[in-house]
Amino acid sequence: MHQINKLVYYFAILLIILSINFFLPRVMPGDPLSYLSDPGADMPARMTEEKRELLLEYYGLDKPISEQYISYMVGIIHGDLGWSIYYGAPVLEVILGRLKWTLLLVGTSTAIHVPLGILLGATSAWARGKKKDTGLLISILSISSFPSFFLGILLVIFFGIKLDLFPINGAQTAFATYSSPFGKIFDILHHLVLPATTLVISHIGGTYLLMRNSMLGVLGEDYIMTARAKGLSEQYILHRHALMNALLPIVTMTAMTVGFLIMGTIFVETVFAYPGIGNLLYNAVLYRDYPLLQGIFLFITIAIVGANFIADTIYVRLDPRVKNE
Amino acid sequence: MIEGRKILGSVGLGILAVFVIVAVLAPYIAPYNPHQMSRPMEHPSSRHLLGTNDIGNDILSEIIYGTRVSLFIAFVVSAISMLVGTSLGLIAGYFDKLGFVIMRVVDIFLTIPRLPLIIVIAASMRPSIWNLIAIFLIFGWTMTARIIRSEVLTLRSRYYIDATKMIGGSDCYILWRHILPNVIPLVVVQFIMEAIHVIFTEAGLSFLGLGDPVARSWGMVLHYAFECPIIYVSDVWMWWMLPPGLCIVLTVLGLTFVGYALEETLNPKLKSPAYGRGL
Repeated sequence: MHQINKLVYYFAILLIILSINFFLPRVMPGDPLSYLSDPGADMPARMTEEKRELLLEYYGLDKPISEQYISYMVGIIHGDLGWSIYYGAPVLEVILGRLKWTLLLVGTSTAIHVPLGILLGATSAWARGKKKDTGLLISILSISSFPSFFLGILLVIFFGIKLDLFPINGAQTAFATYSSPFGKIFDILHHLVLPATTLVISHIGGTYLLMRNSMLGVLGEDYIMTARAKGLSEQYILHRHALMNALLPIVTMTAMTVGFLIMGTIFVETVFAYPGIGNLLYNAVLYRDYPLLQGIFLFITIAIVGANFIADTIYVRLDPRVKNE
Repeated sequence: MIEGRKILGSVGLGILAVFVIVAVLAPYIAPYNPHQMSRPMEHPSSRHLLGTNDIGNDILSEIIYGTRVSLFIAFVVSAISMLVGTSLGLIAGYFDKLGFVIMRVVDIFLTIPRLPLIIVIAASMRPSIWNLIAIFLIFGWTMTARIIRSEVLTLRSRYYIDATKMIGGSDCYILWRHILPNVIPLVVVQFIMEAIHVIFTEAGLSFLGLGDPVARSWGMVLHYAFECPIIYVSDVWMWWMLPPGLCIVLTVLGLTFVGYALEETLNPKLKSPAYGRGL
């Protein structure tokens, strides 16, 4: 019953997101085309009459609103997200072309971020009140005060330009020919280092704090005291009793973290001109390519909500106590 | 480690005080009008302490006026969000049926990712301070409403509330006199959280070029610097990117420290034995 409710809830959310996406360009002052055709607006990309027609046809503004809504929904089901003005191609095609780089970036960052956050959080909680804990806490709070794009810029300047250790833009060297497949892999990883580092550092605070709090809570439980009274070694208590239980909230958190990382790529990919979806969003904003912008909005939003749904479902299976609530 | 928290809190307050003074006194402190043009791309000198940007505006003056924009948006959004969030939280916690409806709305708002929606809306509006404030307000109240509600739920089952009801205290009187004062500390912490969130998001939106191009915030200064093709070639970044970026970092750090210091006085859990020795 609980699961079905959840399914209905997430379906409603999906419907709301799709509706927002539908109504947004229609309720904004003027119609979606007025900004593009306004000669006073500072538009980098001028629109030809032909593209205007394409756009008009996509929005179908001359038809009644209910008919527009139905044809929009049918279009979405068929994967029709409209036509990108700037790239002159179907929006979905443009997005899918960039997807692999974002997946690589988010995947790598998550794989480093989660274990690192858990390790630091657990270390901090285990040493609560000591210098190690205070130092870690203050350092991580301070690092978290850096906006990710500013952190990225600093890494570009120090490691990319001053020390010249890593490339500062793109996902691979342009027009490069590789002598072996390893050369290509190395090149891609080499380009991945700075963006992934930026993403990990700027989001580590959340996981760290959650793990620290969760662990502090567990350490106050009676069964930890019982374990101590039984004379178990500190190492054994840490690994078998404290860590395992403190990890539970992290499962949910990981899915949320993936969501945050996806949003983080908007800034990080912009700074590093990394050819993923985040960078695409920046270009869509820059050129006021509304169909593309909305397509990306839909894509990112559904990905994040989907991740949360999965986390919700897994959590109930991991922690039976939740079901009874 | 209670002392440690106090020191951090004072440091945070000190940082914030400096920025607030700069924001209020901007016209008296700034050496130039931020829109006044002189020679572009000048290096720092006695005439322009942080040089000039690509269209010849004095960067120091731009940053000083930017303090106004960034802090103003954060303050207005957080203040209104707290007002709305607290009111709805009080109502939702005290009246069950209304509460159910309000909380379903909050659930939906909290499930839809904020940032992508904010970017899409900001891109479809003409960029201005007031539009940005309006956009941030859409989401600003939600978390506060939820937190205040759950606090009210525990508060309203206390004996003194029952006693007040018995001697004929009205719902309004109870909410105003007995419940509101007890949630104020939580509201203060939420205010700081929201301010941090708004400063970050505003800086991010502006960095993407969605900020007010006339009243430039710190993020907007960074946007123009980032868009300048020769920014990494020489040392220009040192006076054009580093100062506005550090302003954002310091403000957020100040707010974080203050919030952290307050948390201890407000969260009794931290005083329990398990946490007792913790910071």
